[in-house]
Amino acid sequence: MRFFTATVLGLLAPSLCAATNLTTPSRLDLPSGFKPPQVFKNINLVRNTNLEKSYVRETINVVVENVDKQPQNDYYIPFPAEVFDRVGGFEVRDKKAPEKGRFDVDYTEAVPSDGNQYFVVHLPEPLAPKSQITLGISYSVLSSLSPLPATIGQADKQFLTYSFSAYMPSAYTTVTQKTKLKFPSNNVPDYTPTEGLKSGSDPERKGTTYTYGPYDTAEVAPGTEHPITVRYEFTKPVITVNLLERDLEVSHWGGNLATEERYWLRNNGSELTNQFSRVQWTFTSYQKAPTSALRELTYPLLPGSVDPYFIDDIGNVSTSRYRPSVGKSAGNLELKPRYPIFGGWNYSFRIGWNNDLASFLRRAAGVDSDSYVLKVPLIEGPKMAEGIQYERVVVRVVLPEGAHNVRFELLEGTNSNGLPGAKHIYAHLNTLKTYMDTLGRTTLTLEVDSLTDEARDSKFVVTYDHSMVDALRKPLTIFAGLLTVFVAAWGIGKIDISIKKR
Amino acid sequence: MSLNEVWEAASATPFIPLIAKDSQFSVGFNLLLLALVTATLFGLNRSFLGIVSLGIPAALASGFGAVFMICAAGVYV
Repeated sequence: MRFFTATVLGLLAPSLCAATNLTTPSRLDLPSGFKPPQVFKNINLVRNTNLEKSYVRETINVVVENVDKQPQNDYYIPFPAEVFDRVGGFEVRDKKAPEKGRFDVDYTEAVPSDGNQYFVVHLPEPLAPKSQITLGISYSVLSSLSPLPATIGQADKQFLTYSFSAYMPSAYTTVTQKTKLKFPSNNVPDYTPTEGLKSGSDPERKGTTYTYGPYDTAEVAPGTEHPITVRYEFTKPVITVNLLERDLEVSHWGGNLATEERYWLRNNGSELTNQFSRVQWTFTSYQKAPTSALRELTYPLLPGSVDPYFIDDIGNVSTSRYRPSVGKSAGNLELKPRYPIFGGWNYSFRIGWNNDLASFLRRAAGVDSDSYVLKVPLIEGPKMAEGIQYERVVVRVVLPEGAHNVRFELLEGTNSNGLPGAKHIYAHLNTLKTYMDTLGRTTLTLEVDSLTDEARDSKFVVTYDHSMVDALRKPLTIFAGLLTVFVAAWGIGKIDISIKKR
Repeated sequence: MSLNEVWEAASATPFIPLIAKDSQFSVGFNLLLLALVTATLFGLNRSFLGIVSLGIPAALASGFGAVFMICAAGVYV
């Protein structure tokens, strides 16, 4: 009886979802008229802008010197407010010791006087006066490429434009700087040449790389701009995922990790001038000619992935093929949407698959432990040469019912994992009620804005506690319900309802 | 201790489910069959002794059988 009471109390007790490291991103408020204190000088700055994919990827190496009399540790990096929210995967490291990990970065609100927003990089140790440090800054800028012409024929080449300043927007005086642009091809019909910024031709062209600078900008005030626009061929789709919802469902009873992803996708390339022609499309497809339309998505799946499905608003999409993994190699899910996705067209779909849980879940402290540790990819996503940009990603880890004491950690390597810092990811816990649940399953939700496929295969670890009583909640609930029926049947059968003389 | 170190430290203890995926259907089916038989027997002779000897096993078999059967059907609870 004591066991039964304890069990029933256990079944009814609310799940204790105590978690200690959940994060809510916040932004620093700066006063109007704020200017970063001029305590640093950029001695040498090299900006590498990669335009090979459908988003802009920038890596900046800058030698920074403290020109103040006091040690300093806050380095400000400005962005216009309209660009700031489209900056993804922002990361700063010590270029000479990248293995020490990323530096802590705060985001600020827009400063009303100049419209700038800042990333505030906190150096791990204050930089002594006259000392130098080499910063490696990397980030992506989403939706910063615009097609020109905005409308093209179905089989025409597509061109994108990108505008930037020859002088790197910086809060500090920069002594010398240059910008290297890497294009996807040699076909760059338009670019802005500069005059008087340096001796010789500017930019210098070498294959698919164009170099603006080096410029001597020691006398140029910080924030001075020199607009440059380049226009280059990019006859590939500009794949933009407006929203990706990714569910990872952990089942202890089933020994299964179920993954489902829901995509709301759009091609941000040039729109069609004329109506879509199926005949011309068939002709183009037969020739395998380059196209600005999205024809197919290739999605590598982890070894051991089974039961894949591909569904859109209408139902199952049969134009998909799954090439399962052999041995330890990855499987490939080849998804062909119902129609080619031209510029301005949308397509939403869902895909899912199963994996054995044993590859992703371990008991944290021995076989009899109630503590579990889960290691899974944060996002996977299709692998495309032209790249994919994700405006918003919502990852839900659906843990077993009753899981509590949930903690998570993003894994960092020696290189950028394409993610923002952990404290800039919105993480919260709630419950999800679905099949056979009484209390609902503990769900850890992580929300990230402005990601790119650079974050593919970035992993994170979740630990949680799940006791025997939590595990037995489902079968014991059914047991208790059925036993109640049996007892009721016996009890009701004992009631004498016969008609007789009293 | 970082959580990744917890993961690395637990390399010797991967999670092993109580019933492997391949056996879920047979275990679930047999338990539900047992539950049906014992529940039917209890229904024929409803007594307090029947609850203890048949009702409790039937309810237990039904609880665990239902969980394994829904997993076998692809709904991993």
